[in-house]
Amino acid sequence: MSQTHTVTFRFADGASRVVDVREGDTLLDAALAGGVPLMHQCRSGSCSSCLATLCDGEVVNQPGSSSTLLASEYEAGHRLLCVSRAQSDCTFDLSYGSAEGGVVPVEVHAFVNAVEPIASNVVKLSLELADDNWLSFKPGQFVQVEVPGVSQLRSYSPVSTEAELPRLELLIRLLPEGVMSTWLKKQARVDDVVKLKGPYGAFFLREKRRAPHIFVAGGTGLAPVLSMIDRMRQIGGRKPPMLLSFGCATSDALFYLDELELRRQWLPGLDVRICVDREPGSCYHNGSPVSALRPEDVSDPDTVAYLCGPQGMIDAATRRLVELGVAPENVFAEQFVPSN
Amino acid sequence: MADETVVRRRVVKAAHGISDARVNGQKTQSQYQPYKDAAWGFINHWYPAVFSKELAEDEVKGIQICGIPIVLRRVDGKVYALKDQCLHRGVRLSEKPMCFNKKTISCWYHGFTFDLKDGKLSTIVANPDDKLVGTTGITSYPTEEVAGMVFVFVREDDFADEDVPPLSQDLPFRFPENSERFPHPLWPAAPSLLDADAVAHGMHRTGYGNWRIACENGFDNAHILVHKDNTIVHAMDWVLPLGILPTSDECITVVEDEHGPKGMMQWLFTEKWAPVLENESLGLKVEGVNGRFYRTSVVLPGVLMVENWPGEHIVQYEWYVPITDDLHEYWEVLVKVCPSEKARTDFQYKFERVYKPLCLHGFNDCDLYAREAMQNFYADGTGWDDEQLVATDISPITWRKLASRWNRGIAKPGKGVAGAVKTHAIRFKDTAAGKPPGYFVEQIDD
Repeated sequence: MSQTHTVTFRFADGASRVVDVREGDTLLDAALAGGVPLMHQCRSGSCSSCLATLCDGEVVNQPGSSSTLLASEYEAGHRLLCVSRAQSDCTFDLSYGSAEGGVVPVEVHAFVNAVEPIASNVVKLSLELADDNWLSFKPGQFVQVEVPGVSQLRSYSPVSTEAELPRLELLIRLLPEGVMSTWLKKQARVDDVVKLKGPYGAFFLREKRRAPHIFVAGGTGLAPVLSMIDRMRQIGGRKPPMLLSFGCATSDALFYLDELELRRQWLPGLDVRICVDREPGSCYHNGSPVSALRPEDVSDPDTVAYLCGPQGMIDAATRRLVELGVAPENVFAEQFVPSN
Repeated sequence: MADETVVRRRVVKAAHGISDARVNGQKTQSQYQPYKDAAWGFINHWYPAVFSKELAEDEVKGIQICGIPIVLRRVDGKVYALKDQCLHRGVRLSEKPMCFNKKTISCWYHGFTFDLKDGKLSTIVANPDDKLVGTTGITSYPTEEVAGMVFVFVREDDFADEDVPPLSQDLPFRFPENSERFPHPLWPAAPSLLDADAVAHGMHRTGYGNWRIACENGFDNAHILVHKDNTIVHAMDWVLPLGILPTSDECITVVEDEHGPKGMMQWLFTEKWAPVLENESLGLKVEGVNGRFYRTSVVLPGVLMVENWPGEHIVQYEWYVPITDDLHEYWEVLVKVCPSEKARTDFQYKFERVYKPLCLHGFNDCDLYAREAMQNFYADGTGWDDEQLVATDISPITWRKLASRWNRGIAKPGKGVAGAVKTHAIRFKDTAAGKPPGYFVEQIDD
């Protein structure tokens, strides 16, 4: 019989849960079996939903599995529970509360309300949940959409918020030969029905943090981030200063500029920087959204940052923000992976 | 297939067409969407609750603002305000006041007793050892009392004490501190409620309509047509224009000072606005001879100031305090600095004999019925989409945009409170008994 270790999970709301884990089991499986409400989705070391920070003890990666964590993240104690095994008693910190992990994803149907191209390679898909169907989510979380006709799943974070339900808006980057892209371009019609599953993901707005918020978004990574900003607007009371740095490769790939202008008008504390990095001489900041960050943007040690975009942007943004003084545990990121 | 579920569309309302010929096209409308969402008012702001004289020592009164029931009690001169909804089963404490000491108020139904200072559940009359005691409570609301008016900071349950702004941030612009920025050649600095020796006389009554409709009436420069035939105007031979048209892009200044009130000043009776005194095609001409110059401004959460009105050295303040989404409490208050006993006596006399009957009633009664006449168009929400605004409506449009930007929160529709459900038996019973929906809680006659 293999050895058993006592593993403690400490949630952000102060609750903590203890489970016994056999050495050969992944921490995620053991914890879920023990009823610990951990967030998770892919169970294969890629989506980062089950991210936790190891505070004490020894943990190894499951043989043969890989995780998408960077060496620096690993160094900082980050672990993906779905591919980790305990080698001793250990303690993990989770960045979400005990009530937040317990949400069970549901499967629902939605009608297509509109399919609108909004930039050279981005389409806005407007959906409306069918009668008697409901899928709630936190701003920043994602849903999986089954591409009609091909039964393949694609993940998107709604750009809308829970307040707009039953309407739901997704920003979809068109990829050559992508199954979703092909469906959107060739077949999708108003009143079509699609299947959705969710919510998923641990990349969501941590509410009630009073320190300044920095959002860095590349391309359709704007969607979860704008959902968060809108949620911040909907919450009453004193709002922290916010900075959004959003970029695309070229100006014809930019989208949602009117929507961002509205947010700027509604939120006196929101600073918006629009960037393009492959078009010198445009009227926007010339460079990546990371290059638009300035030392004076981080004047509060408790500054919180949310990053969404390609892996390269996230890595660069994390490095830059930490260099400017943001604590690594206050940087939340979601990489989006194009899938063909 | 038998096991296949049927997927149905939700039943939705038809969309309303929007004409681009009007001033408030779809784009302008989206700029003030938060304002359109604020049917129940802006929360986390200071609102007038009662005149000081309406709450005697040890008296308890219940009111409702932004869908939040509030109970007031005065103890040793100080006014305390708590959520007027027992956490046990929602009964209003004010409906049958029960206070056993100077520190608490008890629910008359099951005896849940709350600390006046912070709303904590301090005991339960017949269950003092219950484990709930000391662990929970009801929301408390900061209060301020100035110039004979009691103000309450109406906040969300989790709005932090340290974030409560000073009352002055939710009151009209002050003078002389703004005299240089907003000079007016025709009168000296307008008085403020916060001035030394300020005296406020006024009245408040319930308006049957949404607070925004009422608020916009106050500074809408085309609305003065409703006052064309008012007694005071003709008795005093005032020149009250048929309307006032903007002549410049700078006709309104938006004020967004970091630590001051957020609002807008209209440059009335300067070259930036042109009074319209005649309409030839209708054979209309204003005949008055005495200039009655005034200036209007409005600040969050919807406080009107009419400078130099209805007389020299007087200012009229108005509030349109949301009670529900279809009721508001209309406040009309005249403020004058009265440094001597004689000045106070004279102002009081003039208020009772002239201003109250001829202005706050005679003149402003027209505003009240005009707003109610507009209510049906907006009551189902479609009016906000279907209205066709014109050039003079620069005033409400500017206000809507700045209110969208600077409000401290949009009140959520009332839950478990009077007016949350419009069609239940109690509302009908009270109305049939001659008690229409209103601001104050009707106390149980025991």
